[in-house]
Amino acid sequence: MSVMHSSLAHFRPTGFDRMLAPIHRWVWRDSERRVQKLLRFGQTETDGGHDILRAAEMTSDPLLRRLYLKHAIDEYRHGELFRRRGTALLHTLPSKPEPAFQADWLAPGGHGLDDLHVEDESDNDLLAFLHLSEKAAASRFTVYRDVLRNDGPTCAVFEEILHDEVFHMSYTLTQLARVSPQHHRRHLWRARLGRLWKGYLRIATVLAGAMGTLFLIVQYFILLPPFVLLAKRAARREQPGWTPISADRNGSLDRQY
Amino acid sequence: MKILGISAHYHDSAAALVIDGLPVCAVQEERFTRHKNDAAFPLLAIEWCLKNASVEPESLDAVVFYERPMLKFDRILTCALRAFPHSWRAFPAAMKNSLGEKVWVRGIISSHLGVPGRKILFTEHHQAHAATAFLTAPTRHAAILTTDGVGEWATLSVGEGERFQNGATKITLLREIKFPHSLGMLYSTFTAYLGFPVNEGEYKVMGLAGYGRPTMVDKVRKLIHRTPDGAFKLDLSYFDFHTTAESSYSSRFVELFGPPRNLYEPIDLETSEGQRFADCAASVQRVLEDTLVDITRALHKETGLPDLCLGGGVALNGLANARILAESGFERAFVPPAPGDAGCALGAALCADRIHFGNPDREVPDHPFWGPSVDGSELARLAGEDGYAFDECEDDALIEQTADDLAEGRIVGWMDGALEFGPRALGHRSILAAPHSAAMRDRLNREIKYREEFRPFAPVVPIEVADRYFELPPGGRRLARFMSGVFPVRPEWRSRLEAITHVDGTTRLQALERATAPRLYDLLQAYERRSGIPVLLNTSFNLAGEPIASRVVEGYSTFLRSGIDVLVVGSTRITKRESLLTKTKEAVA
Repeated sequence: MSVMHSSLAHFRPTGFDRMLAPIHRWVWRDSERRVQKLLRFGQTETDGGHDILRAAEMTSDPLLRRLYLKHAIDEYRHGELFRRRGTALLHTLPSKPEPAFQADWLAPGGHGLDDLHVEDESDNDLLAFLHLSEKAAASRFTVYRDVLRNDGPTCAVFEEILHDEVFHMSYTLTQLARVSPQHHRRHLWRARLGRLWKGYLRIATVLAGAMGTLFLIVQYFILLPPFVLLAKRAARREQPGWTPISADRNGSLDRQY
Repeated sequence: MKILGISAHYHDSAAALVIDGLPVCAVQEERFTRHKNDAAFPLLAIEWCLKNASVEPESLDAVVFYERPMLKFDRILTCALRAFPHSWRAFPAAMKNSLGEKVWVRGIISSHLGVPGRKILFTEHHQAHAATAFLTAPTRHAAILTTDGVGEWATLSVGEGERFQNGATKITLLREIKFPHSLGMLYSTFTAYLGFPVNEGEYKVMGLAGYGRPTMVDKVRKLIHRTPDGAFKLDLSYFDFHTTAESSYSSRFVELFGPPRNLYEPIDLETSEGQRFADCAASVQRVLEDTLVDITRALHKETGLPDLCLGGGVALNGLANARILAESGFERAFVPPAPGDAGCALGAALCADRIHFGNPDREVPDHPFWGPSVDGSELARLAGEDGYAFDECEDDALIEQTADDLAEGRIVGWMDGALEFGPRALGHRSILAAPHSAAMRDRLNREIKYREEFRPFAPVVPIEVADRYFELPPGGRRLARFMSGVFPVRPEWRSRLEAITHVDGTTRLQALERATAPRLYDLLQAYERRSGIPVLLNTSFNLAGEPIASRVVEGYSTFLRSGIDVLVVGSTRITKRESLLTKTKEAVA
């Protein structure tokens, strides 16, 4: 345990995260946003737990299986800690929070913006991914803890979770060096590039999605109105209640409509 | 003839393989991906089915999809048009969703499996439900009722199925109720209102209903009106599900029933707010039951048949099934082990075999065990690697030992043979415990299932003595075969069966025939020799939010992560001792 405490004491957030501290402070200042973020973090940690549990069930390495299992249990516990704190704060709010701008890109949770497809990853790649992911989370959580000093219980939640994150960061690196002593640095670099690539894909997907949405909304208002009249007229003619099924509908399986 | 059935793209996707008229395997995709109710195209399930049966994709005679994608797209587009301009937010998402993948099912199947397009067939969604319900039931001639949220257009269908002496089979759907008028959507709207996930939390609404009184029935009846022809229609001003994907109910609904539950706040039944939610659940449950009883009563009068086959997700509502059996006039009600969308994979394949290809009828084995099997040696390997002591013993000794464990209050994870197809653990992937005390129920909820206190647990009992402990009406045993009916626990046994007796004195029992799961049956008898009661608490082998464990390693990890005391896989048994996980962490740190 002392090893973990000293690691935590020496852990410093990245320069980038430190630079964003004022933004994080702004993000977390709003009580409603804080509640929703904590509840969302709860879900993110639980989802991360599912992924790591899956890794435990997929690996053929007994030591990794045990470590992944422990890691998954930690993630589930973190989810519960976030949920409990979020729920406690929820009760203190004068009104129920409405879904609002959450600034998730600015203050992401445990595994942040990364996707994880456990089935497609080797132990080497997965350990490298987890190491970087935990390191990034530890860096962000350190900043969150620091900007939440005025909210003791929430700060304590981050403090507690940080202990585990530092352990996760450490074991994933140790194990990566064990399972791939010659190439563990290469795996880490590949994982870094993979994170960048996934980030790019995510941005591209969001942009493409936004363009597609815009295009479809334009079509909706320009092309659809004539058909709307027909559809609404047909709806008015439709009688509620039973509709008989014609005999030929019970027959052919060849058609899609 | 080899026919592959597929259900996908809505929730709980699955694959099933029928060879020469009989199911060979059937499994849900979630059991492989470990994402609960996984709706993705079931590639892993298909791969397993084909590999397990040693069938190459090119040797398949047909691949049958469980609904008609273009007809479904027609409904989605039409609803968007009818809701114009309120549907402008939902429209882009719906189009991207449909045009991105769902309408190209023929191409997707063809490219994944390499089968030509002409071999790919499509049933209607409710036709697949009807086939699942009728073709797997041991009856020659029955009325059929299928009810769910929505398929293509239909939300509820009635019809008849008949097996003729010459081996021919006929399923005739007579009439239907169309979207948006849907009993399934009505119930799901309350599921969302009560803060539970739609298509997953309906069990919770049913459990919660037991704690409430149907004081809001009149309000619920404002939402659903009976039509003169005996059907029903929803008052759409209370709903939003037909115009947007973001919300199921409208502001008018909230005005009528009050503010919805925040999903992060637990339901506290001691408070008036908690009681209001329970009353809501009880009221919608009552209206659902009343409507189904009326429809089935009319169907019985119309067909004059003694048997009724129930299909669709609503057939998972055991309370409603029990009332249908008691009040509709039908003597027997058949519900397959997978009446929901997953089961449609099997129904679609059987429908193609019997109806499309006209193959002679064959009696489908009356059990749910169509998934991957487990092997005790795998548990021995895992336990050995982790330094756990394990026993490998003969069946008799293992069963006696397990009965001792249960009698001494231990909780047992039980994995045996092939995985169940469908949402229920029916004796092959179960967590078993003594059913006697409320403390055991609380322990299971707290240490293992991590779920709401108001959710009940189910018992398993040998079919021959089920009547001794539970009030089963005529036909009740059949309904209890796959845990499809909720029946009262006999009052004189309630104090000795506290862990499985719901607050309203009922339970959703499984009445077990020895031939269905012989080892579990023997365990019940061994347990009776110790406790005097051959009843065990039987809950699915999973933790909250996870699918039922399929492989040994999944059962093993569930065992390690929870308060399960003993794990039995085949003939191998391990018990829990000091936490190896803690030691591992300390060693590595």
